[in-house]
Amino acid sequence: MTTTTTEQLAITRIFDAPRALVYQAFTDPDHLAEWWGPIGHSLPRDEMEFDVRPGGFQRWTEVNVAQPELRVHIHVDLTDVADGELLEGVMHVSGRLQEGIEPFETRLRIEFHDEADGRTRLEIRQWLPEHLAHPSEEGWRQAFTKLDATLTNARAVAADHREVEAWPS
Amino acid sequence: MLSVVPERSSEDLDLLFGALADATRRGIVERLAVGEATVTELAAPFSISLPAISRHLKVLERAALITRSQKGRWRHARLSPTSLAAAATWLSRYEQLWTESFGRLDDHLARLTSEQPTPQTQTEKGRP
Repeated sequence: MTTTTTEQLAITRIFDAPRALVYQAFTDPDHLAEWWGPIGHSLPRDEMEFDVRPGGFQRWTEVNVAQPELRVHIHVDLTDVADGELLEGVMHVSGRLQEGIEPFETRLRIEFHDEADGRTRLEIRQWLPEHLAHPSEEGWRQAFTKLDATLTNARAVAADHREVEAWPS
Repeated sequence: MLSVVPERSSEDLDLLFGALADATRRGIVERLAVGEATVTELAAPFSISLPAISRHLKVLERAALITRSQKGRWRHARLSPTSLAAAATWLSRYEQLWTESFGRLDDHLARLTSEQPTPQTQTEKGRP
């Protein structure tokens, strides 16, 4: 079902803490609840369930503090785990999402590397959900070709006249 | 630090992410994900003027996130091309989520390292 695609999001970040501690921040529910999530959300501790091992899982709920009826359920099925070094899995996002957003799943890989002076380098790769990636790279290429043309056009238009627009109300 | 894979000039991506860096414009894109709409319909959820919405639409159009067409008296806006806009919105949201969370993770780790001065760093257990 999951086709092999190149990752879409690649983030590298250095943290001023030893690797074991950064790994713990991702794999211990008490720790994750302290820092993860969109602003304005909380992670109820009693809805967190972690079983971190290959074939295990991490599950939690993100509750919108201002609108508590908006509850997002995150289920990560862990496919590959190396203690202190690697977390890889598929994140399933469901529940009451913002309007216009369908439940989706995204493949996620997090690597923990030692850096000098007891620091840790985090490397995160995240893959677009299948339904968004669907038109594949060819679709993206066409889209960006179109974007190029639009931009060239827009510059030419902007150069020789100022658009005046009236919207019927 | 962050990269989006399709081989495209960073200038184009700047336009794309610039267009999505604004909450109102993200709201417009999310509304258009449901279906096309007139400027009046798009303005409804926001407490800003029609000309202001119109300016946001121009930014989105320049980033090729939307197209606009004339239908009788009305101009309709729609996502274009759908996959690109939806994917860009999704990426922008996750980029933001990680960035925001990392700030809090920094703070959390700083608290932990000040609480437990050195014990962990010397004995790194579990390393072969």
